[in-house]
Amino acid sequence: MLAQVTGRAELLGVPADTPLFGAGVGLDSLAGTLLLRQVQRRYGVDVAAEDLNLDSLDTLGTLAAFIAARRDA
Amino acid sequence: MIKCVVWDIDNTLLTGVYLESGADLPGADPGLTGVLRELSGRGILSALASRNPPAAADYVQQLTGADFAAVECGWGSKADAIARIAAELGVATDAIAFVDDDMLERAEVAAALPDVLVLTPEEAAEAPGWPEFSPAVITAEARRRSQLYAERRRRQAAANEFGGSRDDFLRQAGTQLTIAPAVRADLPRLQELSVRTHQLNSAGEPVTQADLAGLLASPEDTVVTVRLADDFGDDGLVGAAIMTGNGASSGPDARVPAPVLVVTVPLIMMSCRALGRGALDALLAWLCRSAAADGAAELRVPCLVTERNVPMRLALAAAGLRAEAGSVALDGRAIFARPLTGELPALPDWVTAP
Repeated sequence: MLAQVTGRAELLGVPADTPLFGAGVGLDSLAGTLLLRQVQRRYGVDVAAEDLNLDSLDTLGTLAAFIAARRDA
Repeated sequence: MIKCVVWDIDNTLLTGVYLESGADLPGADPGLTGVLRELSGRGILSALASRNPPAAADYVQQLTGADFAAVECGWGSKADAIARIAAELGVATDAIAFVDDDMLERAEVAAALPDVLVLTPEEAAEAPGWPEFSPAVITAEARRRSQLYAERRRRQAAANEFGGSRDDFLRQAGTQLTIAPAVRADLPRLQELSVRTHQLNSAGEPVTQADLAGLLASPEDTVVTVRLADDFGDDGLVGAAIMTGNGASSGPDARVPAPVLVVTVPLIMMSCRALGRGALDALLAWLCRSAAADGAAELRVPCLVTERNVPMRLALAAAGLRAEAGSVALDGRAIFARPLTGELPALPDWVTAP
């Protein structure tokens, strides 16, 4: 999903603890918005509405944990 | 207010049907071509949605000389085509008008997208006289808007071809971002930006030229503008921020300012044309660095928390600004803040700033 929204195939194998913002992936607001839209479409979790600070976008691992927690709720 | 008109081709912009005309292709409808030009001069975008091969769009473009901001040619539903155009241009469906001679197409779009203003070609011919097609301010940026979106289509195509990272693409495209203090001549465009921006707007309410003129005159406030250009085109003034509390110690008649520990940014706004081009990240990096250089210990951005400005909140998070959990006030705002110690966000080398 991340590789798709950024158009960068090399991100397919990115480790779950790589920071999404800043030096690691360099997720910007456009790619971030597309990623959240895809997450909402595929998992039915509206991250933007539930996570004020969007801290769940720290890494792929935190995002996956956030989605899992909301789906179980 | 209508920001984009989506036009049908057959028997609308053309006086006949493109595919049924053989070698003798139909001409452009003179009345609607005039409307197209008039609206473009007012900063209203044009797009095409047609059940035709892409060559039909090229033909209409040549014939009318219009810059179409988005083109959807295919045999799918027109409502889907309009939804894709809205997403591509970052325009809400209630700011879109759709013109088609075919009653069934109009009915399908009206049912699927009730916010879209659906018009017959006869109604479209009258549209330039209607208030929703008459913006109060028409700036230089507005008059060039269709052209800017056409440049954006070419830039987007090049970015999709490009294999490397976003920063590599921005550098290769010759991106130049200039941050500078606002002057009086910028005020009409700044007012227009405050009305038109939603996705990248922290305050969520318009400011008037009088408000802005007051801020320019006040020693406690600083208004900075952001201009963006690259090899594909010059987008002009795309964004701005207001900073308050830094004492404006660089002003010509500055008295010795009291030490200010917090710099507050009541407004950050950026055109959605700048989305994905590093402009907002660069502006936030500059705000952090400028406030730190003025001796502030903390940067605060009060930001409306809505579904529409998620891109703004993402940029704030990326620049290290955080709000306290559960701190959204009754007015829908939360204060995003960060300390100005330690490592500040980097300013790319293609940024020119004071």
